[in-house]
Amino acid sequence: MAKLVKTEAVVEGRTEERWTLVEEDATPEWALDATPRPVGEPATRLTAAARVSGAARYTSDVRLPGQLETLVLRSPHANALLVSIDLDAARGVPGVRCAIGPGDAPDFDGQPLLTDKPQYAGAAVAAIAADSQAAAAAGLEALNPKWEALGFVTDLDQALERQDFLEPPSDEERGDVEAAMREAATVIEVEYLAPAQMHNSMEPHCAVADWRPDGLTMWSSTQGIYQGRSQLSEAFGLDPDKVRVICEYMGGGFGSKFGCGPEGILAAELSRRCKRPVRLVYSRRDENLTAGFRTPARVSFKIGAEPDGTLVAIEASAVMGMGTGGWAYPILETTKSLYACPNVHAMVLPVRQNLGAAAAFRAPGVMEGTWALEQALDELAIELDVDPLDLRRRNHTDVDPGNGRAYTSKRLLESYDKAAELAGWASRDELRGEGRIRRGMGCASQYWWGGGGPPAYADVRIGATGKPVLSVGMQDLGTGSITACAVVAAERLGVAVSDITVRAGDTDLAGHGPFSGGSMTLASIAPAVRSAAHHVRTQLLDLASDMFEIAAADLDLVDGEVRSSDGTLRRPIVDVTEKLGNAWVTGVGSRAPNPQGLAVNTFGCQIAQVAVDTLTGLVTVERVVAVHDVGRIVNPMGARSQVLGGVLQGIGFALTEERVVDPTTGTVLNPGFEDYKIPTIADLPEVVCEFVGEPDPRLALGIKGLGEPPIIPTPGAIGNAVAHALGMRIREAPYTPRRVLEALEQA
Amino acid sequence: MRISLNVNDQEQAVEADGGESLAELLRTRLELTGTKVACGEGTCGSCTVLLDGRAVLSCLTLAAACDGAVVRTVESGGPLLERLQQAFTAEDGFQCGFCTPGQLMSAVALLERTPHPGRDEIVQAMSGNLCRCGAYEGIGRAVARAAEGG
Repeated sequence: MAKLVKTEAVVEGRTEERWTLVEEDATPEWALDATPRPVGEPATRLTAAARVSGAARYTSDVRLPGQLETLVLRSPHANALLVSIDLDAARGVPGVRCAIGPGDAPDFDGQPLLTDKPQYAGAAVAAIAADSQAAAAAGLEALNPKWEALGFVTDLDQALERQDFLEPPSDEERGDVEAAMREAATVIEVEYLAPAQMHNSMEPHCAVADWRPDGLTMWSSTQGIYQGRSQLSEAFGLDPDKVRVICEYMGGGFGSKFGCGPEGILAAELSRRCKRPVRLVYSRRDENLTAGFRTPARVSFKIGAEPDGTLVAIEASAVMGMGTGGWAYPILETTKSLYACPNVHAMVLPVRQNLGAAAAFRAPGVMEGTWALEQALDELAIELDVDPLDLRRRNHTDVDPGNGRAYTSKRLLESYDKAAELAGWASRDELRGEGRIRRGMGCASQYWWGGGGPPAYADVRIGATGKPVLSVGMQDLGTGSITACAVVAAERLGVAVSDITVRAGDTDLAGHGPFSGGSMTLASIAPAVRSAAHHVRTQLLDLASDMFEIAAADLDLVDGEVRSSDGTLRRPIVDVTEKLGNAWVTGVGSRAPNPQGLAVNTFGCQIAQVAVDTLTGLVTVERVVAVHDVGRIVNPMGARSQVLGGVLQGIGFALTEERVVDPTTGTVLNPGFEDYKIPTIADLPEVVCEFVGEPDPRLALGIKGLGEPPIIPTPGAIGNAVAHALGMRIREAPYTPRRVLEALEQA
Repeated sequence: MRISLNVNDQEQAVEADGGESLAELLRTRLELTGTKVACGEGTCGSCTVLLDGRAVLSCLTLAAACDGAVVRTVESGGPLLERLQQAFTAEDGFQCGFCTPGQLMSAVALLERTPHPGRDEIVQAMSGNLCRCGAYEGIGRAVARAAEGG
C-alpha cells in the first residue's frame, strides 16, 4: 500500500521539505559485507552500441516532417534599448514562416524571453523560424535592429561597488569570531580570485518542439525531463499530462541543462505559432554567451589558529559574479562545514553584472569555494610549519559543524591516509628540484552532499522472453546512470546486465524520476529500481514454485537460471517465463526517504603532482591521486570514468579555462574552443583512483553520489602543488604561463 | 551546383548550395546524423570524417568541393572501424558519446596511416578531438587496443 510521508531533501546544499508518495516495500537490504553480483563488477555501457555506431539520436539529430529551423537575434551590446526592429521585413523573406520579437514569447525565470531592454551581450531579442537555416539567416539580416547603447558593468569589483545584488547577501555567524580572532596565536589574511568557467558540453543546448492541438511534444537536451515538463506546462498554461518531454541521448550538461531552458520555450512558442515542428540549436558562441557559467568569485579569508594548526576562527567573504541570473551557489559551505572550527563568520555577496545568467556547473560554488579554502589552509600550514595533511586531520569533525548533525558515514581520515600512501606524500619535498623544471605536490579535501532521495519511481516487467524491461522517468546525460540501474536490477533478477532493456528519457514512459544532477541521480533511483525488480523476482519465484513444486523460499534466480537451494533444480528462467505467453509480470518500486536528522555527505582527498617550467611558465599536472568516500560503488568502470572526467574539468579550471570579457564593450572575447581552452588528450595526467567508502550503513543500498565529488578538490590540490613547487603562491586561477611568469618575476 | 560523391560505398548525386558544408550535406540531405557538429567552426573535431582517406573537419569542408570524392563517416562500417567501436566500448572511451563519431574517424585515419602507433603518436593524432566528459584515458587505450587487433 502506498502512503504519503513528509521528508527533508538536500539538493546542492539547499534543504527542501517535500511530501512524497512511498510504496510499502519488503525488499530485503543487502548485508553490508555482501557482494551482490553483478553490483560492484565492471559493466560496459548499455548505450554503447548506439553511441559508437552513430545511431544514437541526440536532440539535435531529430528530424520531423515539416520541421522548421530557428535563428535568434541576440544583442551585440552589454546593455541597450532596442529602438526599432523590422519584423515585417523578416516576415517577407522567402522561406521565413514566423518572426517574433520583444513581448511575443512567454517569460523565462521571471524575465521576458525576448526583450527590448537586453541586459547583456547575447540576450535574445527576436527569433525567426524558417524552412531552412539559410532562409532563417536571411530573415535575421532583414530585421535591421537599431540600438541605443547604455552603460554597463561586467567587472566584479565595479559590480560590488554598485551594490546591485541578484539576491540579498547572506551573513551567517556561529560563535564569536571577533573575540576568538583576538586571542588566536596566528592570524593569516588571504584572498583568491576564481575565474568564470564555461560548461561547453559538446552537444549544444537544443530543442525540437512539436505543438499540436492535443498537446506539446518536446525533444530536449536536458538533465531533467520532468523539470522541463513543469516549465513548459507553466509557461503555456498546459495540463502537464499534455506535455511530453523526450531526451533519448544527451551530449553532456554539467549543470547547464536543467529543464528545457529558454531554447525549449522559444521553440515551443514558434511551433505554436507556425503549427509546424521547430528546431532550435545553439551555436558554440550562443553556448558561451547565454547558456551559463561557473560564477567568478573573489574569496577572502582571515583565519585564526593555535600554533599546532587547530582552527579557532574563520572570517570569510565571497563576492560572486552572477551576471543576470542563477542563484547564490554554496561557495562558503566548505568553510562552514568541512572543519571543526567553533567560530565562523561567512558573508556571500552575489552581484549582478551585464553578463549572461550563471548556471550550476558541477559542484557549483563548492568547487571554487574549496579551491580557495584549501589554499588558505595550506598557507596557514606553511606559516605554522605544520604538514598540510596533518593540519586537516587536526581539524577533523565527526558532526557537521554547520548544522550539528552526525553523518550517516564519514571516511575522510581514511581518505587522507590512503591518498598520502598512494601519492608518496611523505617524500614530497624530494620532488621539488632547483633547476628549470620545479615539481610540487599538494592536497585538498572534498565535501559534498549526494544522498539522493524521493520522489523516484521505476517499473520492471518481464514477459515470455525472460528478458526484463526496466522503465525509469529519468535521463542519462552521459554519466552511465542507466547502465548502473540495469546492474541494480540484474542482481534481483539473476540475469546478465546486457539482457536488460532500459527505457528512459521520456515523461510518457514512467513515473517521476530524478534530474541528473547534484550527485543525486543514482542514489535516488537505484532503490526504486531494486524494489521494482524485487517485486518481479517474488512473482517469478512464485510461478517457479508452482511449476516445480518447490517452496519459493528455497528458490533463487542466478545467472539466468532458477535454482533450488539443495542444488537439484537448475532451469533457465525462460522455462518459467515462456509459460506467460503474451502476459507480463510487472513490478513497481519507489524511493523511501533517507533517515531524518542525519547529515548525508560525501568526502574525499586528492593529491596532485605538478611540474612547472620556470622558463615558459607552463604548468603540467603529472599525477592525481583521487580517493573518495561515496558509499557503495555500483559499477567501478563507470565510477572511474566519472572521477577522470571530474579531475580533467578541474585541471581545466586550474590551468586554462577562463572567460575573458572585453571591458570596453562588455562582450565575451573567447566564446569558442579556439580561445577558450578545455583539456585535450595531451593534458591527461596519470590518475590513481580509489574508493574508501564501504556501503553507507544508513542509506538505501549504501549508495551515495559521485558526479560532483571528483572535480571539487582537483583545482585546490593543483594550486597547492604549484605553490609547493615554486615556494610562492599564485592567488588567481587559472595558472596560465603569463600568471606563472609574472609571479616568478615579482619574486 | 550538382555534385556526385561516394558516401559509405554508395554513389550520391546531390544539389549542393554554395555555402553548404559537408557536415550539413551529410546530416541534413543524406540524413547521416552520426556525424556531429559541436562547434561548427573547426575547433573541436566532433565532425571529423574521412575524405579520400584523410581525416577532415566536415564543418569546414565545402560540400561543393567534394565532387568525385570518397567520404566515409561513422556509419561506414568495415573491420577497422568495428574494431575501434568495440575497443571504445570495452575501454569506456566515452561518456556522453557526442564527440565519439569524430574520435573514431580520427582513429581510423591514424591506424590506416600508422597501424601500430606509439603512445605519442596516438596523443598527437587524437589531440584535435575534444571530449568535455574527459574520457581521454579510455580513448587512448581504445586506440592502442584496436591497433593490437582488439
